[in-house]
Amino acid sequence: MNPNYSQNADTTSTTGVTAILSRIMRVKARKTQLLSALGFLTPNFIGFLIFTAGPVLFSLVIAFSNWNLQRTVTFQWVGFDNFVHLFHDQQFWVYMVNTGYFLIGIPVSIAGSLALAILLNQNLKGMTIYRTLFYLPSFTAGVALMILWKNLYNPEFGPINAVIEEVSRVLQLGIHGPQWLISTRNLLGIDVEQVRLVIQQWGLGARDAIIIMGIWTAIGGSNMLLYIAALTNLPEELVEAAQLDGAGKWQVFKNVTWPQLAPTTFFIVVMSFIGGLQGGFEQARVMTNGGPAGTTTTISYYIYTKAFEQFQIGYASAVSWVLFAIIFAITLVNWKLGNKEVSY
Amino acid sequence: MGATAKKRTNRRKKASLIISHLVLIIIALTMLTPFIWMVLASFKSLEEVEQLRPLPSIWHPENYAQVFQQVAFARYYFNSVFVAIWVTVLTCFTSSMAAFAFSRLKWKHRDTIFKLYLGTMMIPGVVTMIPNYTLMVKLHMLDSFTGLILPAAFTAFGVFLLRQFMMSIPPALDEAATIDGASFWQIFVEIILPLSRAGIVTLAIFTFLGTYGSFYWPLILVKSQHLRTLPIGMLYFDSAYGRQTNLIMAASVMNIVPLIAIFVAGQKFLVKGIQLGAVKG
Amino acid sequence: MNTKQFCAWVCCGLIAITLVAWRIQPKPVEDGKVQLIWSTDDNPARREQTSLFNKLYPRYSLKIDPSNSGMEKVIVQSIAGVGPDIYDSYNSQINSYVKAGIAWDITDELIKMGVDINKDMWSCVRPFVTYNGRVYGFATNAGSCAFWINKDIFDQQHVPYPKGPWKWNEFLTVAKRMTIRDKNGRVKVYGLIGAWDNWQTFVLQHGGKMYNSDGTRCTLDSPESIAGIQFIHDLVYKYHVSPTPVDENAMATQGGWGSGTISLFGGGKAAMGMGGRWWLCTLRNYKGLRLGAVECPYGPLHIFWGYGKATLLNKTSPRRYEALQFIKYVTSKDYNELNNHQADALAPMIRYSYTDKYLHDPAYPKEDFNAVWRDAMKFAVAMPSSPFIEGGVEERIFYKQLDLVKTNQKSAAKAMQTAARLINAEIRNNVSKDPVLGARYTALMKRHRQ
Repeated sequence: MNPNYSQNADTTSTTGVTAILSRIMRVKARKTQLLSALGFLTPNFIGFLIFTAGPVLFSLVIAFSNWNLQRTVTFQWVGFDNFVHLFHDQQFWVYMVNTGYFLIGIPVSIAGSLALAILLNQNLKGMTIYRTLFYLPSFTAGVALMILWKNLYNPEFGPINAVIEEVSRVLQLGIHGPQWLISTRNLLGIDVEQVRLVIQQWGLGARDAIIIMGIWTAIGGSNMLLYIAALTNLPEELVEAAQLDGAGKWQVFKNVTWPQLAPTTFFIVVMSFIGGLQGGFEQARVMTNGGPAGTTTTISYYIYTKAFEQFQIGYASAVSWVLFAIIFAITLVNWKLGNKEVSY
Repeated sequence: MGATAKKRTNRRKKASLIISHLVLIIIALTMLTPFIWMVLASFKSLEEVEQLRPLPSIWHPENYAQVFQQVAFARYYFNSVFVAIWVTVLTCFTSSMAAFAFSRLKWKHRDTIFKLYLGTMMIPGVVTMIPNYTLMVKLHMLDSFTGLILPAAFTAFGVFLLRQFMMSIPPALDEAATIDGASFWQIFVEIILPLSRAGIVTLAIFTFLGTYGSFYWPLILVKSQHLRTLPIGMLYFDSAYGRQTNLIMAASVMNIVPLIAIFVAGQKFLVKGIQLGAVKG
Repeated sequence: MNTKQFCAWVCCGLIAITLVAWRIQPKPVEDGKVQLIWSTDDNPARREQTSLFNKLYPRYSLKIDPSNSGMEKVIVQSIAGVGPDIYDSYNSQINSYVKAGIAWDITDELIKMGVDINKDMWSCVRPFVTYNGRVYGFATNAGSCAFWINKDIFDQQHVPYPKGPWKWNEFLTVAKRMTIRDKNGRVKVYGLIGAWDNWQTFVLQHGGKMYNSDGTRCTLDSPESIAGIQFIHDLVYKYHVSPTPVDENAMATQGGWGSGTISLFGGGKAAMGMGGRWWLCTLRNYKGLRLGAVECPYGPLHIFWGYGKATLLNKTSPRRYEALQFIKYVTSKDYNELNNHQADALAPMIRYSYTDKYLHDPAYPKEDFNAVWRDAMKFAVAMPSSPFIEGGVEERIFYKQLDLVKTNQKSAAKAMQTAARLINAEIRNNVSKDPVLGARYTALMKRHRQ
């Protein structure tokens, strides 16, 4: 910071002549500011055009073609064929359900983040240490941690099942650990190939394993930090007033804290859904290869296999635009619902 | 009576404090257990990894050396850091300039255009990934550092974050400088940049982390072994050499140690950055 | 420090680190040598094979590139101009390579070299290097399935080593005795592992096929094909002599060269392993493992699945004429003897497996089972493929269904019917979109009707 300028700011604003002068200059400046702004925007904007705006339009255009990078098929414009095919593509719907299933973790992890934030917001000693420890998984998240969890989940040698077996043996429960990443079971009992529920599929499996890992990663992450910030900004008078009225802790939370946190919650929910709907790629690639029997394949991984393993660029673009449309629609719905409840 | 009531509330407060601490400690332990297992496993022999016993009977620090022998781990490290540094510098450069235009300069439709810009953050990465890949194919940038760095160096997020910071700088400062005849470039370099240092550090950390751990783009772009970044190297290490959990855990530990170092160093900025980035959005 | 200084430091740092990156860039080729890239698998044997090539042909510098050996990757990278010069091709992949325009027709070049693929090369790999009657490469190995046996486990159980030829019901009596449980009833040693990986043998032995003879229709839903798959299922869930995938998966890690089934067998978790001679590459690392081999049991038909690895040359490579040296190399005595010595399945040229050196490798005096692997080739049959579908798509459909059978979630009949239905739909879809393919398909279909 340069102290000279701040001094100047004080002195010039006091003298009348320079004040008038500055007003004239500012008017003059405004005219030239657009050009300067363009200058400042250029580096980012060129990159933005080449790597974001251009590609977005391009991908929309090629979604109407059968373009295949392998050149085994001659290039053609196919109109809405890709989209029609997609609606009859049973895999697409199955993977859509998978993607939806993974969203189950979102409310759990948001509630967890809120609970942690409330626990941390008591001016306790060692708050920073706790916060650091909670934040660690989300900060280090990535391929390394996924490989770690893959090993934790190993049904035969992994520590998770070892502990389950040990506990079961000591307490004589006679239960065995789930098969985790190699099982197609899930908590809803969704069937493998069709969109329907069957009792045989009920249990814990690969999808749940990934959800549990996701909650572990996200619970102490940025969501928790956002809640902590919102809680510290909470007007204390409101809480005190409620307490004077004889409200219990739960009532204070329900009537004061929760409504005040609504904008934060809204933001977190929107961001989590946007992230969740595009997610699942890394987990699928690193931990399961999309299996077993495709149960951990999300739309995002499906696009990857279509685009970068089979190089059906046209079809993959169509799928990615449908995903985009869904994200857009859900965000819009969130926005509508959120604005009704949230009073800014 | 007053005194006993006070005592009681005091005692109750103390009890609730202890309970809070207990709960927090339990949660912290749950968060930490996987890490602890990872570190311990990285020092075990392969047979021992598969046993429940927490501590290794014989410590095997040579596991770490073996990782370097089996794969070009140092190379992956370098590549990751190299790409991350370049992306970070370029991102900070382009973002700060654009943020300046969006926050300190006044021009027509500025905020509308900014909102449009922000809106692009909602576009799923895969939408742009596919054309970008074909672009790289066409430009013959497949399998090159340039291909890894360039597309990652322009983000709407960076502009957004820095704009939030720059908006909070009092406008009087650059007005005064304008009167002194300073050009916008001078204002940018000499006033705004130093004042938004915290924001730039935050952005730098975020970008560095994001690039260091980025997986999708390098996975599809990199072909040669000598260009692999850490996540890609880890992926192949995990799948190509059969069962050697202890070595893979050693590699994982080495993968996240730099992250923890950055975290400890930059915690102050990060926490603030996350909160600023979201609350005002 | 002011902003300008800071920026200067950052720039210096960037330049420095870039220089470092530049310096540690691997040197492309030694001076005056022609660099050839071979996209192949991760087998350690490849390294020896390349270094022998580099020794024999000092003008060239051959390098392997194991991480880009997927077919789609090879094709796209070739189109993008960063493809390999030489690449491996499995099963029906040659169809896609030729269609993509990156397989180079070397029929005439082979004639000039004096190599006749019909006489010199194992016949079960012939379909992998030919397309429409033209030759695009040469096999780098070939193989057929047979059984590895763990002699120690047999001795412990006082069961004589099985001898071929034998039938599956004879096998079952042996396998049941060789499936050993601990006192809690958990299986300690399985009778057989590796059956799923050789599903082709079961389908072929029952008279089934993946496709009809011209590849216009998937016939996995035929009663014969279903019976084959059903039999593997029975080995696991009816006779309990093979592990369920849950058990198997839990015992091994997925993927990677030499992991999975082979390490289970090497670790003494199974008495017999259905596999190939190439398992030896990994099994030699298990010191003290006493190995034997026996012909695979036969079913209704006395045939086994034959397979191999074809190596093709890249038509788009500017060094394709130089790459011809590699084809010459794989037909040479040096390569073939090395290949047999390494136990990378069998050498592609038939004649080098009929030598005393093959039967009794001086480096491995205890390996007295080599005749078994060679003689299995007499019964080896390739699985028919289809030119009308991409290998990757076919695999994805098929293995998903096979997974469901494996995990006992779907009957063999239902799964194979689904697989055939989906594959046939894909074929119809492909021929309707590609005029060239479509014309070929209609011509073949016409012949069917006549």
